[in-house]
Amino acid sequence: MSGKDRIEIFPSRMAQTIMKARLKGAQTGRNLLKKKSDALTLRFRQILKKIIETKMLMGEVMREAAFSLAEAKFTAGDFSTTVIQNVNKAQVKIRAKKDNVAGVTLPVFEHYHEGTDSYELTGLARGGEQLAKLKRNYAKAVELLVELASLQSSFLGLNVPLLISSQSWMRENEKSSIG
Amino acid sequence: MLESAELYFNVDHGYLEGLVRGCKASLLTQQDYLNLVQCETLEDLKIHLQTTDYGNFLNNQTNPLTVSKIDTEMRQKLCREFDYFRNHSLEPLSTFFTYMTCSYMIDNVILLMNGALQKKSVKEILVKCHPLGRFTEMEAVNIAETTSDLFNAVLVETPLAPFFQDCMSENTLDELNIELLRNKLYKSYLEAFYKFCKNHGDVTAEIMCPILEFEADRRAFIITLNSFGTELSKEDRETLYPTCGKLYPEGLRLLAQAEDFDQMKRVAEHYGVYKPLFDAVGGSGGKTLEDVFYEREVQMNVLAFNRQFHYGVFYAYVKLKEQEMRNIVWIAECISQRHRTKINSYIPIL
Repeated sequence: MSGKDRIEIFPSRMAQTIMKARLKGAQTGRNLLKKKSDALTLRFRQILKKIIETKMLMGEVMREAAFSLAEAKFTAGDFSTTVIQNVNKAQVKIRAKKDNVAGVTLPVFEHYHEGTDSYELTGLARGGEQLAKLKRNYAKAVELLVELASLQSSFLGLNVPLLISSQSWMRENEKSSIG
Repeated sequence: MLESAELYFNVDHGYLEGLVRGCKASLLTQQDYLNLVQCETLEDLKIHLQTTDYGNFLNNQTNPLTVSKIDTEMRQKLCREFDYFRNHSLEPLSTFFTYMTCSYMIDNVILLMNGALQKKSVKEILVKCHPLGRFTEMEAVNIAETTSDLFNAVLVETPLAPFFQDCMSENTLDELNIELLRNKLYKSYLEAFYKFCKNHGDVTAEIMCPILEFEADRRAFIITLNSFGTELSKEDRETLYPTCGKLYPEGLRLLAQAEDFDQMKRVAEHYGVYKPLFDAVGGSGGKTLEDVFYEREVQMNVLAFNRQFHYGVFYAYVKLKEQEMRNIVWIAECISQRHRTKINSYIPIL
C-alpha cells in the first residue's frame, strides 16, 4: 500500500465498526459500477447490431424506391415540378422521447402521421397506380431513416458514459489488485 | 369529296408529309433496342445512339452523363423538328399543329398558375415547362395576383381560352383543385380537337377520330381506376370524362357508378375493342392497364402511316417519338441504377 492511501485511524472498536461500514459502502459502489458498465455495454452491443441490420435494409429499400420513381416517370411523365410546387405541410412528423438506461438518458425518435395526403389526385389521368406504389416505397424509406436516426443518436449518447464508466471500473480494478 | 384529298393535298402539304415519313423511318427498331438493352453504362448507351438518327446530340454535354440530360436533349431535338414542321405549314395544317401543342400548353399553364400563386420566380418555372407547349404570353404570367386575373389578362389571348370558358365561370376558377382543373381543361381540349378533325372530313377524320376516341376512353378508364379510394366523388369524376369516345353516353354513365376494377372490366366487356385489352391485364408479364393502353396507342399510331394524304401522320409521329423517348429514358434509368430485371418492359414500336 502506498503512503498516500493510508487512512489515519485511532485504534478503537468504534473506529473498526466505522471502517467496516465504509468498506461495505465501497464494495457496494464497486459492484454498482460494474453493473452499470455491464448494462451500458450490453445496450451498446444491441444498438450496434440493430444499426448494422438497418443500414443493410436501408440500401435495399432506397434502391427499390429509386427504381419505382423511374417506373412512375415512365408511365406518368415528368411530375416532379408539380410535386415540388405543391409542397405544403409535412405529413410524417417525429416525436422525441427519452429512454433511461442505467442512469443515462437516451433520445428515441418516433414517427407519426398527421393530415391527409395532398397529392391524392396527382396522376389522376396517368400513372396513378405507379405513383401510389412510389409513395408507399418512399414512406417505408422515411420510416427506416427515422429508426436509423434514433439508433445512431442513442449510439452517440451511450458512447461517452460507457467509456467513463468502463475507465472508472478499470481504475478500480487496478487499485484493488494492487492493494 | 373523297378524291379531293389525293388531288389537292400535295400542293400544300406534300413536302411536309414526305419529311415526316422520312423522320418516321428513322425511329429506333427492335434491333436498336436490343443493342441498347445490352449496354453496361450510360456512355455505352450514348455510343449506340450515335449510330442511329440521334447522332451526336449528346456531344455538347459535359461529364458525367445523367439520364435527365439525355431526356432534355432528346426533347430539344423533337422540338426542333416540330418547329420546323410548324413553320413550314399552311392552313389548315397549322391549326392542326396548334391543337397538337395545346395538351402541352395545358400542362405548362397549370405549372405557371401554381408558381404564380405561390410567388415563385417565373424564370425557374419557365425552365421546367415543356418546350412544345410554349406560347408567347408565358413570361407575362407573374403580373396576375389571382387566377381570375390571370385568366382575364393573359390566358384569354392563348388558344386555351375556349377550354377555360367551357369548364367554369370566372369566379369558380380560384377554388378548384389544380388536378381537377387540369383534367377538365384536357377534356374540353380533346372534344374540340375531335370536332376539328371530324369537320375536316376526308382521310384525316378517318384516321384521327378513332385515335382521339381511344384517347378519350382511355382517359375515362384511367381516371376511374385512379379515383378508387380517393376523395373524388362520383359526380366529380363524371365531369372529367371526355365525351368524344365510344363510351359516350352509356359507358360513361356506367363507369361513373363503378366502384372497383372488376366493375370497370364489366363495362369494358360491352365494347369489342376494349374487351381484349382488359383481358390482357395481369397475365404472365404483370402488365398493368396503362401498359396495355400504351401498346394499343402505339399500334394505332403505326397504322396511321399506312394511308396517305392526311394530317394524322404528324400526330402519330410526335406520339411515337415521345414513346421512343420514354423507352430510352427507361432503359437508361435501368442501366444507371443497375436494376436490370425489368429493363425489357419498354413498349416496342416497330
